[in-house]
Amino acid sequence: MSKYGPALFSVALSIGAIVGYFSFLRVPFIRNHPPLYVAAFALAAAIAAVATVRAPRWPNLIALALSVALLGLGGYFNFVMARIPLGPPILRVGQPAPDFTLPDAKGTPVTLASFRGRTPVVVVFYRGYW
Amino acid sequence: MLTELGDEGVQILAISPDTNERSQELAERLKARYRFLADRDLTVTQRYGLLHARGGDKGQDVPAPATIVLDREGIVRWLTVADNYQVRPDPTDVARAVRAIK
Repeated sequence: MSKYGPALFSVALSIGAIVGYFSFLRVPFIRNHPPLYVAAFALAAAIAAVATVRAPRWPNLIALALSVALLGLGGYFNFVMARIPLGPPILRVGQPAPDFTLPDAKGTPVTLASFRGRTPVVVVFYRGYW
Repeated sequence: MLTELGDEGVQILAISPDTNERSQELAERLKARYRFLADRDLTVTQRYGLLHARGGDKGQDVPAPATIVLDREGIVRWLTVADNYQVRPDPTDVARAVRAIK
């Protein structure tokens, strides 16, 4: 059984990465670094690949197939599907933010420049649906 | 977190394409320092370079989630723009950035 230790570890790492990511989604460090799960899949694939090269038996091949599939899916999702495409950045630290006037929930117009000399402002853009 | 910042003399402006009913209720419960603003035609979102074309759940244009901290002169001192659906700004980072200004 121990000769398939690396294969088992590879599978455990893959599954552990999935479970860990969703379990710890509330922890900002985990949620804001999704490439961590991609890295875990890559490590699992590397371990399984080495094991397979040394002994191309079915347990190692299964571990390799699983980790490569997860790496492909996870990598595609994280780096392609989940991407938000934006144009060239307009906002820069140290530059003034563009002024605007927008209505609040009661319809009263609110102008960003009106807070100058008064308070710092935190502007949050969000999608608007839940 | 953001409600605490509002109490500390910081103005919070939350901008989205719609003012929905839930925002309306929240706005009435919170102090004046927290305002929900409607950017219906996404003009301001575009002016800020934050337009995510067809990024909404029904294929509508939406803003990329972003948090921008401005000082009393209107200068950007800290910002985070989501380039990945999975990421949301850490509230403690925002609070730290705001306190650094005051």
